[in-house]
Amino acid sequence: MSNALFSQAALEHIDALYGYAMTLTRDANEAEDLVQETYVRAAGASNRPDGDGLKAWMFVIMRNAWLNQVRHVNSGPRFVDLDGNESVEMSNNPHVVYLRKLEREQVRKAIESLPDAYREIVVLRDIEGFTYQEIATVLHCPAGTVMSRLGRARGKLRTLLSSWHSALSVKSMAVGKR
Amino acid sequence: MNNCDDIRGRLTLYLDNELQGDERGAVEAHLTECETCAAVLARELNFLNAVRESGPLHVASPALRARVAAILSDGRAPAVEPRVAAKPHRSGSRLSWVVAVAAVLLVLLLPMFLWRVMDQSATPHGQPSSFALMAKDTHLRRARGQLPLEVESASPQNISDWFSNKVMFSVKLPNYQESSGQEKLYTLEGARLVSFESDYAAYVAYRMKDRPISLVITSDSLAKPSGGEEIASRGLKFHYNAIDGLKVITWSDRGLTYALVSDLDERGQQSCIVCHEGTKDRDFIEPLKPKS
Repeated sequence: MSNALFSQAALEHIDALYGYAMTLTRDANEAEDLVQETYVRAAGASNRPDGDGLKAWMFVIMRNAWLNQVRHVNSGPRFVDLDGNESVEMSNNPHVVYLRKLEREQVRKAIESLPDAYREIVVLRDIEGFTYQEIATVLHCPAGTVMSRLGRARGKLRTLLSSWHSALSVKSMAVGKR
Repeated sequence: MNNCDDIRGRLTLYLDNELQGDERGAVEAHLTECETCAAVLARELNFLNAVRESGPLHVASPALRARVAAILSDGRAPAVEPRVAAKPHRSGSRLSWVVAVAAVLLVLLLPMFLWRVMDQSATPHGQPSSFALMAKDTHLRRARGQLPLEVESASPQNISDWFSNKVMFSVKLPNYQESSGQEKLYTLEGARLVSFESDYAAYVAYRMKDRPISLVITSDSLAKPSGGEEIASRGLKFHYNAIDGLKVITWSDRGLTYALVSDLDERGQQSCIVCHEGTKDRDFIEPLKPKS
């Protein structure tokens, strides 16, 4: 793959890599540094894969770079505000828009509140769309582990969302009775 | 073999597209016959769709994209050292020195900074907005063939529909040429999403005389037009900037901010006239024409 083709293909994955960096670091500045570090390493590598394997390969680079850095850095969990930069949604039906936005926010918050290993695997599978085998390569674990961990992560996510949904329903009923 | 327990144990694999050939066929065959399992599948699919549609959780900023593009173009490392690597625990005395020096610099430099900000705001032809710069960069990538479209269509309706569930605002592309009956001067090529301020903006690609024209749309809560030459027309304020040899026009209207980028020869506001020369737009373009 020529340098120009590689650059074009690699740049297409920047949003996905930044999203994964945010998943790993939970900090915008650290995530940006990690993305840059990943691209520096990728640009200097001699074993660049072609086509479909590029994205997973860059995720592997990012995870390795992060593991090298994070072992010595105290990076406690911090809640990432996903709402700050949301733009106003406009539609013909404000109620539908509100419910859709609410659901999206709830799911995002639920993903962010998952334990690190669960959050990571949900992002890799359900947000980035990697196959089990690709995830196994990124995480350096057997595909069977991916399957079981993903099952537990989704179970936790489902529990979080259903409990929030119940709480929201109770709140709505209380408001409705006033 | 194809009992319900067996099938339900494989539903997740099926939905994750991890089953192939006969295994996949067996699940699909069972689902057509068993309403109970089909209902379980539907619930699971709803849940997974809700999770999958919650993404992207984060979007790279234009600044990060520019730094990465620089890394890829010439292989150089970013000018700023990675913050993660530069985060060792400092001793208390060293940290206090840093804070003290920073405080002194702040006191010395603050008046100069404020003067510059006030000076810029007082200048009618100020710097282009970050949105205008992003639109210019995006246009250049498109012109270089580095920005593939996610949807290709010459129909404004198709493009508008494509954006409906992808951006947090409503995109309704007009069909000026059809409504005005004017000669077809430009063609719609397609669209894609581009990142701006941790969110997605809508990018629409046009072409005129074999030259690309870019339209970028975002919410006006994220971008305000500024800088350049300001022209008012029918209650709208257009800002014309010439950036790196390109014409960039930004304006806000009904909750959205637009940036139109081209390398057309026409001067500033005349870029609008090129596309809006139809009879229905005469009121709109008249104030934009150069005064003789």
